[in-house]
Amino acid sequence: MITCNRCGKENQDHYKFCLGCGSELVKPAAPAPAPSPPAAGLTPGPVVSPPPAAAESSALETARTILPPGPPSAAVAGELRTTSPAAAKPRGGIPWNDSPKMPAPIPAFQLQQNPLASGATPGPRVTAGASNGGGASVVTPPPVAAGRPPGAAAQVSATGPTPGPVTAGPAGEIICPTCGKTVQPGFAFCGACGTRITRQPSGPAAVAPPRTVFMAGATAAAPVAVPRGRLILIRPDGSEGGAHPLLDGENMIGRGQAALFDADAYLSPRHAALTVSAEGVMVRDLQSLNGVFLKITAEEALESGDIFRIGQELLRFEVISPPQPLEDGTEIMGTPNPGFWGRLSVIVGRDVDGSAFPLFGESIVLGRERGDILFPEDGYVSGTHSRISLHDERVFLTDLGSSNGTFLRLRHERIVPNGAFLLMGQQLFRLEFR
Amino acid sequence: MFFGAPQQAPGRAKLTVIKGEGVDGVTYLLNAVEHLAGRSDGAIMFPDDPLLSPRHASFVYREGKLHVVDEGSVNGVFIRVKAPTPLVPGALFLIGEQLLQIEPSPPDLGPQPDSEGTYFYASPKRPSKMKLIQRLRGGEIGMIYRSRNDTISIGREGNDVNFLDDPFISGRHAQITMAQDGQVTLTDLGSKNGTFVRINDELPLEHGDHIFLGQQLLRVEVS
Repeated sequence: MITCNRCGKENQDHYKFCLGCGSELVKPAAPAPAPSPPAAGLTPGPVVSPPPAAAESSALETARTILPPGPPSAAVAGELRTTSPAAAKPRGGIPWNDSPKMPAPIPAFQLQQNPLASGATPGPRVTAGASNGGGASVVTPPPVAAGRPPGAAAQVSATGPTPGPVTAGPAGEIICPTCGKTVQPGFAFCGACGTRITRQPSGPAAVAPPRTVFMAGATAAAPVAVPRGRLILIRPDGSEGGAHPLLDGENMIGRGQAALFDADAYLSPRHAALTVSAEGVMVRDLQSLNGVFLKITAEEALESGDIFRIGQELLRFEVISPPQPLEDGTEIMGTPNPGFWGRLSVIVGRDVDGSAFPLFGESIVLGRERGDILFPEDGYVSGTHSRISLHDERVFLTDLGSSNGTFLRLRHERIVPNGAFLLMGQQLFRLEFR
Repeated sequence: MFFGAPQQAPGRAKLTVIKGEGVDGVTYLLNAVEHLAGRSDGAIMFPDDPLLSPRHASFVYREGKLHVVDEGSVNGVFIRVKAPTPLVPGALFLIGEQLLQIEPSPPDLGPQPDSEGTYFYASPKRPSKMKLIQRLRGGEIGMIYRSRNDTISIGREGNDVNFLDDPFISGRHAQITMAQDGQVTLTDLGSKNGTFVRINDELPLEHGDHIFLGQQLLRVEVS
């Protein structure tokens, strides 16, 4: 927690602005400058800002930079603990977990913290339970990729993930094992997808030594599929990171399917399948643990059981059914229903709900400061963020122009248009296709 | 059997229905050994009360003392608390028109990956020891409030949980407290209409006790 030196309020460690007075939070130690990007022409995975510990060698720093979205965690967790926890905080809207027993989390998807309007802190509408929206004063952000125990830190940063053996094409050029594109010998990363090309010391593939460059025209290049589209990773600061090509047919998205997804501990190994077609991209959730979320751009119908996300809050909507008498005619006793037609529950754990808010009336506004259901401790929720409305006997969810968006979990599968934003695991992607 | 038996046997009890505004209604003299109450059965019958099971509860004398026995009713029998009363997890209690439950929070085991090594994403939550659940007529959950510390105060206004529109609730009505060992206690703070807790299977009754079954409030008098 960071204490604001203007008003004294305690804020979550990853906040940039004080939730109480809006002034910029001063981090205890200045962050180090970002590492220099790798050679131009390559598209590495998202650049992860390393912690500002000054003692690191440039070699180690470079290795970490090139790491696909990985555990700054695994490589860095150990180091973080030797410096003061505050000094280890990176720049940007990256939630760090300050609980000592958990490994540091991977960067969350692009969430911009909203600076408060100066001085404006209208009192929330406090009704039973309303002031206890799932907001927390202590964030326990996710841990990092489970497959990378901290002990393997050194190894991970040195060799990167192993996407598979590198094969050589007929003329000796390197074929990227992830996307199949040709990679010039001597290049360390695939130009299309950013996979690190690991040199096999005694592999069967005859990898040409770096000084021998083959001219593209003189070789019979192996046929490479032309991608129909791309999944572009959006970094926490809003810039674009790596891109995953989408080929014809079904594209499997999951942890381990490509370097871009490898370090996301919240992505299931078979998370989603994306199929490009004439009508658009069909996104199918493969019963992943955390689901596939679509950023909504228009009013979306809500059905009982639907899950959506605003800021850090994971919420479930359910309909409240009218009471039915039992077989013997007895009715179940309880508080008289004053007109509640639904309920919004905060999901705080697997099969664990926290607060719940009954829904009544025709419009319920969710937000951080103004509205009917408030999450005052979540800086990633906008002042007014979303609305749940009841009309034409159906329930709808709308985004009210929030900074970070409102994300609806796909029930099963859906065709999404070009430019759609998808949240899978803890990574935000923009979909682009022809 | 209902009204004015010529003389009351010594040690016998009676039940008086309390209607709105505290006005006394019908009085039942409990002159037999057992007296069944219910919606369609028994000597103490309330045919128009859908919250009563057909056979709901019986009032029996055991060794000269009057007991109320829940006959497996759906909605149970509630007794007005006279002193701080322990609550087991999920025990139901009535404050005004609110049917409420307390559930202690499960221990926080930290993030547990699933069988594939994937971690579950959930909303951030502040630590909380217990939650208060509102049960609506029909059985659905209405509101859930997570405690901020060891106690939850309940009333019409100025409390942790406020029911502004419930006319039967006092300003400061009751309080739930969790002790160090996790034991939860319900205390009435001197409310006008009282706080009622659901009994287990049976309970001995004292003079002056108030019983709530279905929608019927009964006062017990033991001579």
